[in-house]
Amino acid sequence: MGWLYVFLAAGFEFAGVAGLNKYSKRKTLLSGAVYLGGFGLSFLFLYTSFKYLQVSTAYAVWIGIGTAGAVLLNMFFFGESKSLSRVASLALIIIGVVGLKALS
Amino acid sequence: MMQKAWFYVAATSFFELVWIFGFNTASEWWHWIPIVAFILVDFHFLTKACAALPTGTVYAIFAAIGTIGTALMDVLFFGQTLSGGKLFFIAVLVAGVIGLKLADGRDEKTQTEGGN
Repeated sequence: MGWLYVFLAAGFEFAGVAGLNKYSKRKTLLSGAVYLGGFGLSFLFLYTSFKYLQVSTAYAVWIGIGTAGAVLLNMFFFGESKSLSRVASLALIIIGVVGLKALS
Repeated sequence: MMQKAWFYVAATSFFELVWIFGFNTASEWWHWIPIVAFILVDFHFLTKACAALPTGTVYAIFAAIGTIGTALMDVLFFGQTLSGGKLFFIAVLVAGVIGLKLADGRDEKTQTEGGN
């Protein structure tokens, strides 16, 4: 049950990031709602998951899926650079974030 | 233009740390008023940063700084120890952030030269 909340939280984080991308380019009511609503629901589900799982574990999985997803989403749907140095740097960040959160 | 965008990245990361600190220390209901205000300021700068830099870059750095900041806060303010493992992942994160800034700077240059 706890993991379902973590995955829901990560899913809404993707929505938040897509909204963030859209909203930063053109400020519409819809993009603003997806941006803030996505992140809001993401936090809500993450906090709910803490009732069932260890905080550091839930946090590490959520931030790992969320950050990797955010990056891939922007590469494939919003045409951001897929250069090797960029992908390698992003992989380092994701490894670092997950590792550090898992140890906290 | 690029310089200003990185200022926005720094501002969003800073305000992120302020509200995370608030989350960890809030004890009265009214403490949540400034925390929510800081979150709104934080999101304002996050949007500004994404208008000029790739959203993926900004978001990854935002997550990285938040993670490093929380780990350091635990050590400085909440009496946790900084293990070798944590230091290792902090170093990996810093390398990733620097690499990303260099990579995006280069991509930007190639794009401009390509006439986009």
